[in-house]
Amino acid sequence: MSVAQLAGGRVAAVVRRAATRDPLVIAAVIVVVGVAVMAVFGQALAPYDPNAIYVGPVSAPPSLEHPFGTDDLGRDILSRLLAGTAPSVIGPVIVVAVSSLTGAALGISAAWFGGAVDGIASRVIELIFAIPGLVLAVLAVAMFGKGLLAPTLALAIAYLPIVARLIRAGARAELGKPYMAALRIQGVGSAAICFRHLVPALLPALFAQTTIGFGYAMLDLAAISFLGLGAQPPASDWGVMIAGGQPALIAGAPEQSVFPALFVVLTVLAVNVLGARVTAWSEGGER
Amino acid sequence: MTEALSGIVLELDRVSITTSPAAGARTLVHDASLTVHAGEAVGLVGESGSGKTLSTRAVAGLLPEGFTVGGTIRIDGEDVSLLPAARLRDVRARRLGMVFQTPRAHLNPFRTIGDFMTEALVSVAGERADAAAGRAIDLLDEVGVPDPSRRMRQRPGDLSGGLLQRVMIAATLAMDPRILLADEITTALDVTTQEEVMAVIADLRRHRDLAMLFITHDLPLAGAVCDRVVVMNQGRTVETLPAASMRERARDPYTIRLLSASLPGEAARPSEAPAEPILRVEGLRKTFRVRAAKGFGHDEFVAVDGVGFDLAPGGSLGIVGESGSGKSTTARIICGLESADTGSVTVKGEDWTRPARGARGRRRRARIAQMVFQDPYQSLDPRQTVRECLTEAVALHRPRAGRPEQTARVDELLASVALDAALADRHPRALSGGQRQRVTIARSLAAEPEILVLDEAVSALDVTTQVEVLTLLDGIRRTTGVALLMISHDLNTVRRLCDEVVVMRSGVIVEQGPIADVLDRPAADYTRMLLDSIPREGWVPRRRRPARTGALPSVATSTTAIPRGGTP
Repeated sequence: MSVAQLAGGRVAAVVRRAATRDPLVIAAVIVVVGVAVMAVFGQALAPYDPNAIYVGPVSAPPSLEHPFGTDDLGRDILSRLLAGTAPSVIGPVIVVAVSSLTGAALGISAAWFGGAVDGIASRVIELIFAIPGLVLAVLAVAMFGKGLLAPTLALAIAYLPIVARLIRAGARAELGKPYMAALRIQGVGSAAICFRHLVPALLPALFAQTTIGFGYAMLDLAAISFLGLGAQPPASDWGVMIAGGQPALIAGAPEQSVFPALFVVLTVLAVNVLGARVTAWSEGGER
Repeated sequence: MTEALSGIVLELDRVSITTSPAAGARTLVHDASLTVHAGEAVGLVGESGSGKTLSTRAVAGLLPEGFTVGGTIRIDGEDVSLLPAARLRDVRARRLGMVFQTPRAHLNPFRTIGDFMTEALVSVAGERADAAAGRAIDLLDEVGVPDPSRRMRQRPGDLSGGLLQRVMIAATLAMDPRILLADEITTALDVTTQEEVMAVIADLRRHRDLAMLFITHDLPLAGAVCDRVVVMNQGRTVETLPAASMRERARDPYTIRLLSASLPGEAARPSEAPAEPILRVEGLRKTFRVRAAKGFGHDEFVAVDGVGFDLAPGGSLGIVGESGSGKSTTARIICGLESADTGSVTVKGEDWTRPARGARGRRRRARIAQMVFQDPYQSLDPRQTVRECLTEAVALHRPRAGRPEQTARVDELLASVALDAALADRHPRALSGGQRQRVTIARSLAAEPEILVLDEAVSALDVTTQVEVLTLLDGIRRTTGVALLMISHDLNTVRRLCDEVVVMRSGVIVEQGPIADVLDRPAADYTRMLLDSIPREGWVPRRRRPARTGALPSVATSTTAIPRGGTP
């Protein structure tokens, strides 16, 4: 599901519009690209070993040697932030990828087949909906042990019904439109109707939901790591860093928590802004 | 209305309307001028895009963000551009009443009619809630809404389109306006409901000395209900004519074109009687389960009951009736979008009563019967260009054809519907209604069908575009020999195109036969009522018994009051 498909092959036009009109989107793109670069090259870019202690003074404020300061064990916060980008970002990506794909498949099947399939799918969706995502994730940790894999998959399942419901409603509305009836009367095959006409119609909504889901997943995973159930110290997942900074925060050295928190907020904001704008453009183009 | 000419209620003096600079600052209305005197009805007539709705919206202050208005608009002698904002809002709230084309879109489906009716009375006029409710009931009664106190507790979904339009009119009367701005208020209604709404308005104008600016694309309708008619074309007011003598006085070529477009079609051609019908429908019956009026149960709604007719190869048959008469359901069963409960559909000796199973079966039927839908805005995939859409249809029915052959066929199809090849790479949103409908016709021709089902195919189009599309269809029928099954509520379009006609009402056939017999010498009162409802010279809208616009009956009963007695 690329942006190119969403915009109906009008990527160039979209980019041009963005550049001339929407500074917010440019900022969001810069943040997202920056975070992606950090995720890929974070380890290599880090000026210090992220887990080496006493590379500088303990709980020092930002300085030339340590731009983001150091934590209570004298580790370089910038290095830890860079090294922690990948685990902090890959989790939410897996969550939205799994929940969007399975949720969309479930939602489309429910709307397409209707009847008993719809009934069963809808009940399953409602059942999962009843369980809060964070509770499911904590439960998964209790069953499968600490680490990021179990809560990531648990969140993917917890987010699935949101996508499935949205897509089911959208697909039902789309299937009720006369052009769908026209395609049937034309004799167009079911697979072609589904993948060539129905799915593209649902992509903007799916994309928007995926970006929102990314933000929530990032926050939820950070919360799980903060609770000490996800990534384990000394790993430098952003959630772990925020949690580890608590004593320092009280002691008057906020850098250790504030910088990772800032990155969580920035990433979530940037992805949401981008999702909302791309959706608005692709829909605006269709009307 | 000599004494009514005393004051001018609304005046547009060389008004121009320009889009926002961001959208290129195009001027859409140039120097539009018109006056409406107290108690006078003025028709504003033109095709879509002629600027008539924009001009009206400028008066009501409803233009989109960034639009600028030049020239002078005076309401009751006051120049709106000179009034302070608060005073202007007050002038608009108290002197103008505006009614729109789609009442359903303007009503909150979750609020009751009572909430809607009393809102302005309480918040603008400052009346007490109980006094407002009493006044609202009086107003609903005045516009002929039956059982108004019960309607106050109902929601928009419980009311038919005709009733909702009356509710909208009643709501605008709450502030006792001097002039009613009516924007295509009957376009979405069928002819009989249109007649009722117009009769209500005629009564109101008589009793209240209410002026009206009546916006429509239907020139005969404007001529029948207005004192004067202003014709608008491409943002300019081209001509102002007295309604009674507009046919004789029209000078502008555009007005003459509009007038000729709305003349009744030529008499139908006699058809050669072929032996075997290509389509035979017998004893068709279809019921839908609907929510019961009370409680949690289901009621059966009989949409089609005992419908049967034959269509000859190359012939043309029209099915006419009001909304809810079951004509569209019949078409959908024939095309395999619904399945009938009982009865049979036989096409070329094959049983088509059930929808085809699988894509192969559907494709085989697609080469025999194709359908064109009412709403060209909805019947094309908005993400496909015209060429993509047609190529998909061509590739489906000529799977072995190569790229060049397919392209050639697409060009051929475009030519057959007289659509400029330059439009082929556009998306539907960039096309006009008539152009889109040409695309859907071209798409349906890709399968080289023997039957073309037209479900209200021209109802959503302007009169001039209607004539163009009907002429095109007639030409296609002559050249390809395709049989036409035309579903319409408009007797004039059926008369133009069809040899035979079936008149349906509440799911049953009222009358059927050759078009000349049925339309010129109708045997059923219902057919006569449909014919009487068509606006024409000397036409006076009449109020029928109010029960007519009640919600659809839960069983196929006859609720329509027919003025001249007798049941069909």
